[in-house]
Amino acid sequence: MTAVLTPKDFATATPSWWCPGCGDYGVLSALKSALADLGKNPKDVAFVSGIGCSGKISGYLHSYAFHGVHGRALPVATGVKLANTDLTVIAAGGDGDGYAIGAGHFVHAVRRNPDITYIVMDNQTYGLTKGQSSPTSQTGYVTGTSPNGHPEAPMNGLAVALAAGATFLARGFSAHPKLLVDLLKQAISHKGFSIVEVESPCVTYNKINTYAWFKENVFYVDETYDPTDKVSAFKMLVNEGKMPLGVFYREDRATLEELANKDATPVVKQSLNGDLNRFASIQDQYR
Amino acid sequence: MIVNSIEIMFGGQAGDGSLTTGDLIAGVFKRMGLEVYTYKDFPSRIRGGHTNYVIRAQERENYGMADMVDCLVAFDLEAVEAHIEEMRPGGFVIFDNTSEQIPDDMRRSDINWYEVPLAKIAKEELKAEIVRNTISLGVLGALIGMDPEVMHGEVAALWKRKGDKVVEMNVGAVKAGESYVKENFASRPSGYVLTKSVDGDRLLMMGNDAIAYGALVAGCRFMAGYPITPATDILEWMAKYLPRNGGVAIQAEDELSAINMTLGAAFTGARAMTATSGPGLSLMTEAIGLAGVLEIPVVIVECARAGPSTGMPTKTEQSNLNHIIFGGHGEIPKAVISPGTVEESFYFATLAFNLAEKYQMPVFLLTEQALCQSKATLPLLEFGAIEIDRGKMIGHNGNGNGHGKVVFGEYKRFAHTDDGVSPRVLPGVEGGMHLAAGSEHNESGVITENVKNRAKMMEKRMRKLESMREDLPKGNVFGDPSAEIAIIGFGANRGPIVEALDRLAAAGTKTRFLQMRTLWPFPDDEVRDFIKNAKHVFVVENNFTGQLDRLIRAVVGPLEHMHSVRKYNGRAFRPIEIIEPIERALSSTVLART
Repeated sequence: MTAVLTPKDFATATPSWWCPGCGDYGVLSALKSALADLGKNPKDVAFVSGIGCSGKISGYLHSYAFHGVHGRALPVATGVKLANTDLTVIAAGGDGDGYAIGAGHFVHAVRRNPDITYIVMDNQTYGLTKGQSSPTSQTGYVTGTSPNGHPEAPMNGLAVALAAGATFLARGFSAHPKLLVDLLKQAISHKGFSIVEVESPCVTYNKINTYAWFKENVFYVDETYDPTDKVSAFKMLVNEGKMPLGVFYREDRATLEELANKDATPVVKQSLNGDLNRFASIQDQYR
Repeated sequence: MIVNSIEIMFGGQAGDGSLTTGDLIAGVFKRMGLEVYTYKDFPSRIRGGHTNYVIRAQERENYGMADMVDCLVAFDLEAVEAHIEEMRPGGFVIFDNTSEQIPDDMRRSDINWYEVPLAKIAKEELKAEIVRNTISLGVLGALIGMDPEVMHGEVAALWKRKGDKVVEMNVGAVKAGESYVKENFASRPSGYVLTKSVDGDRLLMMGNDAIAYGALVAGCRFMAGYPITPATDILEWMAKYLPRNGGVAIQAEDELSAINMTLGAAFTGARAMTATSGPGLSLMTEAIGLAGVLEIPVVIVECARAGPSTGMPTKTEQSNLNHIIFGGHGEIPKAVISPGTVEESFYFATLAFNLAEKYQMPVFLLTEQALCQSKATLPLLEFGAIEIDRGKMIGHNGNGNGHGKVVFGEYKRFAHTDDGVSPRVLPGVEGGMHLAAGSEHNESGVITENVKNRAKMMEKRMRKLESMREDLPKGNVFGDPSAEIAIIGFGANRGPIVEALDRLAAAGTKTRFLQMRTLWPFPDDEVRDFIKNAKHVFVVENNFTGQLDRLIRAVVGPLEHMHSVRKYNGRAFRPIEIIEPIERALSSTVLART
């Protein structure tokens, strides 16, 4: 009999480096709950993170965790999933990691649709380097690299993902744990590439997008919203005004690994010795 | 009369069939039992621009171009203009004079000219413009006394897939070429005759194919790559063969992604590789550092081309040796092995995966355009005898040499060991959960900046460079062991250097040659031993700054007679380009005349 898992089964003994009050605590805690609720075994979870405050999350989740270089979590996660489809693969990183240095990989990972879940912990700033502007910073945000106010418009990551062919799109708020757990559970259960953008305030450097600001400026999509309608999803995502939360879009589409490898046995569990007759027939072509 | 030895250059516009024609004649020479080497010298574009393809055939080992071209098959005047100076006196030109004529000032009198209206014959007699190149094969075969049956058989075999009509058309084209020679040049023999007719059971294979094939046989089941000349052949080969052998090949959006996908797959326990060339390697450099610190086994094939930046994508160079060895911030253990022949390319590919897994580090298979895109004849490959050594791996489902389970809390992924290699657990194994972090970490994987831990971890990782020494391929030594003249080189230069060695010996100059096959960790002892007792040392390489020369100097210190022989114009060495600098250096010293 399998023991019932609790969020504690996904805890590590490593003390957190995050500031007190950081939104990332909410993300971590919701992820642990979601994995426990779904009955995932830590040994079967591969958790890949990028660089930045948010990237540190992989050190705090009991799993096979991979903390790589800046912006490349999605290629690593794609490689993991292609090689071992038995694993539950989750990638996480910040708005800088995913939408700036990793933006090239973001659109292509979305397009390929591997069965992985990507959590973008969006705090609209670069925290670990002490508060510079990020791709999601609001125009006018004053930082060390934008002393006269950030001169750029913020990027709408979810709208970009939808255009790139995303098959699951959601947004949550780290201070709304129950709803976030629900979104993460849906995302992890989705067959294909699922994105959950989580608004995760930086209490130290971002004095604009604070907890209070989010509480004033977010709303949840209601029951009448149809998450299978792509046009509605676009409208919802690009709408001016308050920031929507919830599941915006879902679609059933073949995954990358289904199309790239028809063999049901994961790549990593194939025999390495191969078929000598087959190898011989390859050599014959050069005779 | 020159018997059973020829270098043929097919020259024309890119896309007009020089490559197909050259490959076909290479196959015929192989069928005749000759040793064959081909060298592609084509522009970095799809159609247009001068291209040439060199096919060399002879009876002795053959891994490089000759000093000069014996036969130029010129499909246009530009090919004659570009290569007339490279022709050997006594050689011959086959020229398509349908629409262009050879100007008098270009018509060297020391070579034979065979002008044949190839395009006209194709169009008017055979009613098929497409067979122009095939006619040239008939002309060539008849001029060098080849057995027409062998040629017809090979031509038929090449086009068999396209049906009897196409076969008939092409064999007919060859016959038209043969007849033209009989009718017009019967009184003017070329001076060359290729008659050998016994084919041993051998292969004709391109370096890149040998690498890909070796990787597959070695258990590689994952490849991520991004198209880049001259490495693309490997990704294409793997895309064809991996899926039917339980593996996956994926074309990434860039090289940053390719190497990181490879790391992800290798992290799960798949034998994984990527292949690239200079510009791609530049992009991969950061993640290769990650592989070093995460101790993830990956194989990186570098098919070197002329740099920097875009450089000359289809030309050969050995100018990124420093980049491969020293590239990247921080210090990691890595191995660099370099084959000198197509056969070695296969075996080194298999070896690379064992080295990578046994020592849990990135392993570079370094080759260059002059070898990886060249075809050569080689003996059958012993693919059944390849042993797979996965090192200290704790796998799952019986797929590994471990017990498939570890105790959480006791298991340490980065445990200190005598040889620096820690037992590696694969995701999915009970109890092995840990963080693999590019940040400095302790034995358990927890990130820490503790000073003692840092020093100890650096020592642990770098210790692997010492413990792996015995498993690294030794260099090949050729020539007279007592010779006072020593030559050192690597990669594709093995062929021209060995040939230079033989010719110097025939002329009375004894030399010996160390073909280095491990370039990192640098084989200090091997080089020191080889150089000991040498009066002159020549280091031969394809770059401007003498990168290998400097590595050797760093080990052996200043030597009075150390000479750097370098070529950096994008083309491979011809033997004479190695012989001449050696003769020059010797003639200016007492040694040469005593």
